[in-house]
Amino acid sequence: MLACDVVFNAPKFIEDAVKDLAGKIRGVAVIGVSGGVDSTTAAILVGRAIGDNLRCVLVDTGYMRKNEIENNQTLLKKLGLKVIVVDAKERFHDKLKGVTDPEEKRKAIGELFIRVFEEVAKREKAKFFVQGTIAPDWIESGGGLRDKIKSHHNVGGLPEKIAFEIVEPLRDLYKDEVRIVGKELNLPPELYERQPFPGPGLAVRILGEATPDNARIVREACAIAEEEIEKAVANGEMSKPWQYFAVLLPCKTVGVHGDVRIYGNVIAVRAVESLDGMSAAYSKIPHTVLERISVRITNTLKDDVSRVVYDVTNKPPGTIEYE
Amino acid sequence: MTSRISHRERLNMSNPVKIHVIDNGGQWTHRIWRVLKEIGCDSKIIPNTTPPNEIDADALVLSGGAPRIAWESPKLGKCIDYLKNFEGPILGICVGFQLMAVYCGGKAGPSEVPEYGLAKLRVVEEDDLFKGLPKELLVWESHNDEIKVAKDFTILAVSDNCSIQAGKHQEKPYYGIQFHPEVNNTEHGAEILRNFANTVKAK
Repeated sequence: MLACDVVFNAPKFIEDAVKDLAGKIRGVAVIGVSGGVDSTTAAILVGRAIGDNLRCVLVDTGYMRKNEIENNQTLLKKLGLKVIVVDAKERFHDKLKGVTDPEEKRKAIGELFIRVFEEVAKREKAKFFVQGTIAPDWIESGGGLRDKIKSHHNVGGLPEKIAFEIVEPLRDLYKDEVRIVGKELNLPPELYERQPFPGPGLAVRILGEATPDNARIVREACAIAEEEIEKAVANGEMSKPWQYFAVLLPCKTVGVHGDVRIYGNVIAVRAVESLDGMSAAYSKIPHTVLERISVRITNTLKDDVSRVVYDVTNKPPGTIEYE
Repeated sequence: MTSRISHRERLNMSNPVKIHVIDNGGQWTHRIWRVLKEIGCDSKIIPNTTPPNEIDADALVLSGGAPRIAWESPKLGKCIDYLKNFEGPILGICVGFQLMAVYCGGKAGPSEVPEYGLAKLRVVEEDDLFKGLPKELLVWESHNDEIKVAKDFTILAVSDNCSIQAGKHQEKPYYGIQFHPEVNNTEHGAEILRNFANTVKAK
């Protein structure tokens, strides 16, 4: 018998996962959710296994995208999930004060996330904590023979002592497989087709210190890049990239605004094509679209941003996100 | 309980081809496993410290990994033992291929120009691995080291910056690939792995 194609069997995966979760989790479980594909899919799976005993915790880190907390809260509630929103903006800002090293940043965020979840778990008397960890998270976090590329907040960023048992139903799946599971679970397309967003949020799209002011700049730049690309996709000017966003670079350049010299920040726009995030090619976006993004970012952010560049690096050698 | 069946017995059964992936710590080890499953193989990832007599498979893939061939080959565990003792076909990918070449009396070391990401591959000899595939492929690379001399290997493919991109041993069922067929961005990558899987039954 020669090798022939086998399609990922989502219904079987769901059946096995729900059975496994129902056997494993006793009593109440808390899940960390972001409103992304992975954590929402994990939440629905666990919900099927333990019903009302699931509490979804959405943490406002202060590094979420524009209107994201409100939108995600509505979306998750619509799916019938019990959502607890924790405002931890100040705690995250304080924790990241003076932190510029990317690994230190990711670890600080990973640890604070867990502390927040522990507090909720204690209040809710939960012994189990569910995460939407997927394969690239633990692969890139390294361990043993594997080199650490970056500490994902939900794996390599975890502190050593944790007060609950961690459950990761999507651990062996990649993003494209999670989307198939999400679709099979009847999630709305806006959710299962949603582009990836890193757990540490905009904090890893600010190279250097993730101050609230830098978060404001990159949040606006990300919103503009997303909107312009989505508009261009809707107009048939380009196909939708796998992931697309803006990054605040840690350098300044000279510009001229209304005959006056300015010395402002640089925003890098990044868009890539991928299947699973483990390798990627930069998106060949039309120049007219790039120009609209550039004009709008520099005009909207005025003296904060003097220049916009487009990243033409594949993965490898670059990673998709910058830190 | 050990109920091992011989290599030949397994081939006479209509089971899917069983290919174990030896994990040398690569970023894409898990991808090899995934693609092998997708093309219908029975696959499993095992650490490179697994004793050879515990391996029950039709074929092996030695994954890539961070170890540098010139001074970190002990990190490649028992890969040499597998090359010595395993009965079926073995595919070495990246550092797995480099180790295979060194084991067979060749040489490997740091690349003059390393390759990361996109490269254009030219197939010079179709052999088993590139059967039915175009002569030029866009492939994904990620290597600091390369094979300098591949003794007793027929070179199957080259790129501008690396003259040994794929090879087949002239006597043993050893196949080697410097680029990464398991990565989604590599054109016809799954077909290359399928061609390797099909060598098991063709024997």
